[in-house]
Amino acid sequence: MTIEETDSGVVRPLHSDQTPREWVQNNLFSSALNSGISVVSAVFAGLVLYFGVGWALNVDWEIVRANLRNFMIGQFPKDELWRPWAGGLALVAGVGVGSAGMARNAFDDATDKGLSTERPTWIGLLRRFWPILAFIGLVLTFTRTIQPTLGVLAGLGLFVAGRVIGWNMPHSIRRFSLHIIGLGVLALFTIVAGSGGLVAVVGGIMAASIVSTAVGDRLNRTVLGGKISALVLPALGAAAVWLVMSSINSFGYGWKEWGGLYLTLFVTVAGISTGMPLGILLAIGRRSQLPVVKGFCVMFIEFIRGVPLISLLFFSGFMLPLLFPPSAEIPDGITRAMIVITLFSAAYIAEIVRGGLQAVPQGQIEAAQAQGLSTGRIQRLIVMPQALRAVIPAMVGQFISLFKDTSLLAIIGVAEFLQIATIANTQQDFLGKGLQPITYTFVAVGYWAFAYTMSKESRRLETRLGVGTR
Amino acid sequence: MSDTTINADATQILGGGEAIIEVEGVDKLFGDFQALTNINMRVGSQEVVVIIGPSGSGKSTLIRCINRLERHDRGRISVDGIELSDDIRNIQEIRRETGMVFQSFNLFPHLTVIDNITLAPRQVRNMPKREAEESAMELLERVKIPEQARKYPGQLSGGQQQRVAIARSLAMKPKVILFDEPTSALDPEMIKEVLDTMKDLALEGMTMICVTHEMGFAREVADRVVFMADGQIVEVGTPEHFFDNPQEERTKLFLSQIL
Repeated sequence: MTIEETDSGVVRPLHSDQTPREWVQNNLFSSALNSGISVVSAVFAGLVLYFGVGWALNVDWEIVRANLRNFMIGQFPKDELWRPWAGGLALVAGVGVGSAGMARNAFDDATDKGLSTERPTWIGLLRRFWPILAFIGLVLTFTRTIQPTLGVLAGLGLFVAGRVIGWNMPHSIRRFSLHIIGLGVLALFTIVAGSGGLVAVVGGIMAASIVSTAVGDRLNRTVLGGKISALVLPALGAAAVWLVMSSINSFGYGWKEWGGLYLTLFVTVAGISTGMPLGILLAIGRRSQLPVVKGFCVMFIEFIRGVPLISLLFFSGFMLPLLFPPSAEIPDGITRAMIVITLFSAAYIAEIVRGGLQAVPQGQIEAAQAQGLSTGRIQRLIVMPQALRAVIPAMVGQFISLFKDTSLLAIIGVAEFLQIATIANTQQDFLGKGLQPITYTFVAVGYWAFAYTMSKESRRLETRLGVGTR
Repeated sequence: MSDTTINADATQILGGGEAIIEVEGVDKLFGDFQALTNINMRVGSQEVVVIIGPSGSGKSTLIRCINRLERHDRGRISVDGIELSDDIRNIQEIRRETGMVFQSFNLFPHLTVIDNITLAPRQVRNMPKREAEESAMELLERVKIPEQARKYPGQLSGGQQQRVAIARSLAMKPKVILFDEPTSALDPEMIKEVLDTMKDLALEGMTMICVTHEMGFAREVADRVVFMADGQIVEVGTPEHFFDNPQEERTKLFLSQIL
């Protein structure tokens, strides 16, 4: 048998027309070379598994158990722990209802278009999010009290109920699916932050968005309506920005005590959701015909990309305060670091988006121009959707980078997820016992669970949007 | 005019009414390369003008100047009385009056067929969604593919895509349609369905300028045939004059090469 024949026996999932025996024969032992590789790989995998699992079962995980709350939420005040829990439950319920509503909308839409689609199943959801669920399960095995398990079970129950409700609610409500998720986020902020500008900002943006969804179609039919939405929405946006500026110091209750995985995830989500629009704007700016706009964007992008993230964090953490008089009120360290991380990923996202913009054929723009569409509409309706679709893999790669880069917050003294491991290792009870492998393994599993899920979701999104097929 | 004199005057309208497109003394340069030299042409309403010529002769450039996909360097172009200037409002107005069909279809791949067609009416003319979809379905019936409305362009054959593109260009109810080699990218068996659609349009009285290599179409449908070479109009005439009794050496050479 030749190697070419081996190559043709690509690894496929188990099909119903193949018995497991046939599958093994066709894919693992189709030739002498292939058999050899299979055996060596199996032995290697077996060894890794044997020693890995053996190690994990034999070591004492006491250090993780003792620091579990630190790992999850840092030094968040104990009396206020109900806040993240309640907020989390509200978020889970909102995401359940909203995501099911969106899935139903997509399903109905595809059915309407005569495309073959499958209804989402519980098994499918489990396959999509098993790394995170497995990590949550792992965390629960380390708990000493029953409350976290109850909380997680309550969350699962709310999520399941939300999915059922979301899938079955009428179309008039399903239109607002995204807003329902937004309401979940808003509830989380409200409960965790107690009060504050951020809640007002998120609420304001949401209200504007709900109004524009509800009446936008009707408004845009008239010239006057177009003017209203063109004037009112930016005004609301401006108000929102002003509120952000004025509230930047109060992201939430005990902001300075936030830490652990909670902070890592918050910084990641905030970084993605602000960095991406900013990156898109920078990419458009870089292609602008106005020299000032273009020059600024090029300089910003190239400066950020030319400097290590660590040095930017150092600058924002230690040098920036020295440049202001002591009396000046500047945002605190975590906020500054978060802004730095956001700007950093925006610069990279801008270059990714620029690549996507260049991939859109000139003929697309000409076809839209020939129809009398304005430049702004061509960008928004024709160029951007195609460009963003083409760069999903690179974009998600950048998101994963950002997620892992949040660990650099440690160097300015923020107790994010990885830093908790370092702190735990130096606690009096555990110092000098060589427990680093244990804590760092736990942290690695946590990072991996989220990063791998993001990567899986990106591939799913690619298939759904048909990258490369249409 | 007698049959023996060479006629390179493209300003005389045949078979149509009032002039709807007027091109006067237009030059176009790409860097040092002169793509168009002193082009004068007029097209009457309901007239079908076919432009032929070797590749690189400036045919496409000429019609792309008419809706300002290219900017002409000298001369005057006006469509339905609106003069093409650098004023974006004039350009937009002219683009609304002219539809264009491209060689490579240029359908928007991320939108369904019906969304491709309704996009401009909804965005530019502020037409309500239902009304836009109703008229889009009428157009799809005109090009004989209403059953494809909910599909994506990638799911259609080349001929079907080009017919969708024609329907899309009609959606803005233009006064003129510019065809830029609409059948050049098609497999031979699909050319006929697109040409038939174009013939139907011509019979319905649409004003058309077609850059094409389909001589059968030119002979059957055109009111006038314009032959271009090296950025200039070389010879103009009725299809009969043109194919049976060409005068200019350059024209004879070209026709002998392609017929």
